[in-house]
Amino acid sequence: MQLLLVGVSHRTAPVELRERLDFSAKGVDRALTALAESPSHHETTVVSTCNRVELYVCCDDTDFARTAIERFLSDFHGIPSDQLTPHLYAKTGHDAVTHLFRVASGLDSLVMGEPQVLGQVKEAFGLASRLGCTGTLLNKLFHSAFAVGKRVRSETALSEGAVSVSYAAVALAKKIFGNLKGRTVLVLGAGEMGKLTAIHMQAQGIGRLIIASRTATHAATLADSIGGSAIPWTSLNTALAEADILITATGASAPIVSHALIAQTMKTRRQRPLFIIDIAVPRDVEASAGELEEVFLYNIDDLQTVVQENLSKRGTEASEAEKIVSEEVGKFLGWLNSRGAVPTVVALRHRFESIRQAELRRLEPKLAPLSPDARARVDEITRLIVEKLLINPTEQLKSISDADTVAAYSDALNRLFGLTSDESAEDVTLTIAGPARPAKKPVP
Amino acid sequence: MNAILLILYAVAGAAYAVQFARRSFGTSRMATVLLVLAAFAHTFVIGMETMRLGHVPSASATSAISTFVWLLALSYLYVELTTGERAMGVFILPLLIALQTIPAFSPTLEPRSALLESPWFGVHVSSLLFAYASFALAAVLGITYVLQFKEIKAKHLGFFYARLPSLNVLDDMNLRAVKIGWLFLTVGLITGGIWASQLQPSGAMSFGDPKVFVALLCWAVYSFELYAQRAIGWRGRRAAWLSAVGFGIVLLNFVPVSYFFTTSHQF
Repeated sequence: MQLLLVGVSHRTAPVELRERLDFSAKGVDRALTALAESPSHHETTVVSTCNRVELYVCCDDTDFARTAIERFLSDFHGIPSDQLTPHLYAKTGHDAVTHLFRVASGLDSLVMGEPQVLGQVKEAFGLASRLGCTGTLLNKLFHSAFAVGKRVRSETALSEGAVSVSYAAVALAKKIFGNLKGRTVLVLGAGEMGKLTAIHMQAQGIGRLIIASRTATHAATLADSIGGSAIPWTSLNTALAEADILITATGASAPIVSHALIAQTMKTRRQRPLFIIDIAVPRDVEASAGELEEVFLYNIDDLQTVVQENLSKRGTEASEAEKIVSEEVGKFLGWLNSRGAVPTVVALRHRFESIRQAELRRLEPKLAPLSPDARARVDEITRLIVEKLLINPTEQLKSISDADTVAAYSDALNRLFGLTSDESAEDVTLTIAGPARPAKKPVP
Repeated sequence: MNAILLILYAVAGAAYAVQFARRSFGTSRMATVLLVLAAFAHTFVIGMETMRLGHVPSASATSAISTFVWLLALSYLYVELTTGERAMGVFILPLLIALQTIPAFSPTLEPRSALLESPWFGVHVSSLLFAYASFALAAVLGITYVLQFKEIKAKHLGFFYARLPSLNVLDDMNLRAVKIGWLFLTVGLITGGIWASQLQPSGAMSFGDPKVFVALLCWAVYSFELYAQRAIGWRGRRAAWLSAVGFGIVLLNFVPVSYFFTTSHQF
């Protein structure tokens, strides 16, 4: 059984193609059901996000399965294969495992270390698993991927630090005020940036959102759409005295919040800290206001610097995360390879058991006069002998994690015990049962 | 005994430094476990001494310091385990280690005297030691507040920004520690006064002693901090500085004054 991954991501395909390939519109469940009917593979999971569409399957013949999946993608989405194939990547075994682990830990994301992807992968697997499209291999693979994602998050700082301006503003506000619950946020200007930052603040459970704009209707519209209260521009001073966080994002050509205004406000506020986020260009707040005690003034450039620093920090953390990924890939492959021995182990046990049964049948006439107790004892003794003979080889086989060794051992066993050939059981019984006989002492 | 405790604290201190720098979960937990072990061993030592003497060892400057280290370690552990914030450990541990070197290298015999049998003595000394432990925590919280404040204000979000709790949390914890400390300081000073007046009804010892004088100075500083916070909104950085200055005076009282200046009041 082989692992195969076929997909596109933001690294290989333009957004137009990814949009057309996105399964979420047409239904991932429909795709899974359609894929389940294909004879080319056994287990399937479809990971479909806005940055990637990836199909993970288990198959016997990777080339065959790959062609089938490519055809499926092209048919399902109605994209000619010559437009699709150049953007597709296919990975098997080690590469496929590494890929999924990197995706789950955010290493392959558009924004390095972005944390949502782990949830999306979990959701994708959950759906496939509910529809009965996954089996032993994909179950283990995805659960390992979740563990890798978790390990990377807790052991490295890959996902730490805000990487967008509005998140950076929220993170700073939290460093100043701790919990944002019950805090008052004042937004000046009804533009898009101010709105976005206000929405992020609201997600933190702020107490009150006040919006003021020179055009009263704009303020009212924004207040209606995101839930806040609009105030007239003239009551700015009162609102400033109440606010903990001031977001300015107006289109004014000169600063509208002066040093003097803030200084005056700080007196009424009795030095309660004020965090000013000036995301307007040109700036809305006089830079010197930031020198006032207990005033933290960040403009758009400051926030962008923070974002850049965080991104470069994530870059340095990436190598730590890659180490974890390759360690976990090793562990997973070890498990996978040891599973390669399972058919051989089963066949071996089966063979031994059938020999035992055959011998018991052959001796049936001689055993007939024995009491039921004694017969049960004979049965028990022979069973134990077979068990004991098999313990060591079974354990040895299952403990090998290197694929080549597993193959070599399996091959040797197959030949030595004729596991794959269809020779008559009688022949084998004779060759094997001969040397095994002296061991048939009464079991203590 | 105190030397072994010093080693235990030093090992815990190293673990706190490593976990602060690397921020890995494994070392963080290990640091806490090591400190708990050190505090546990210290509890044992102090318990044995208490059984031997019949009161908490605090009647000589050296044993008072050891008891103070013990109380501070316990108070810090209480804060850490209730808030889950480990960042302060890296500031508290050096203080514990530095103070513990004194009892570790200069063991003194605890004087036994009938003077110390009074229940007032026990309340007096243990209240003050507990107050000082609270002030030590407050000072560390204040210092970390200032470090973090400077980074945010200067828009340079670096080492401390990534590791310390928010300014608001530090400020709240600082004020809480000061309130608790102030309460115990007040109790300690009052019981000290009662005790002294029982021993020497003239009260001659009290105000002339540098130790008493400096303790009253501390009381004034912390009272002002609490008053200023309520009345004129001195929170945040100003409160943080006051906590640091206040504990500077406490330390002054504790080590140099105890050893070199005071005559009648060694603990």
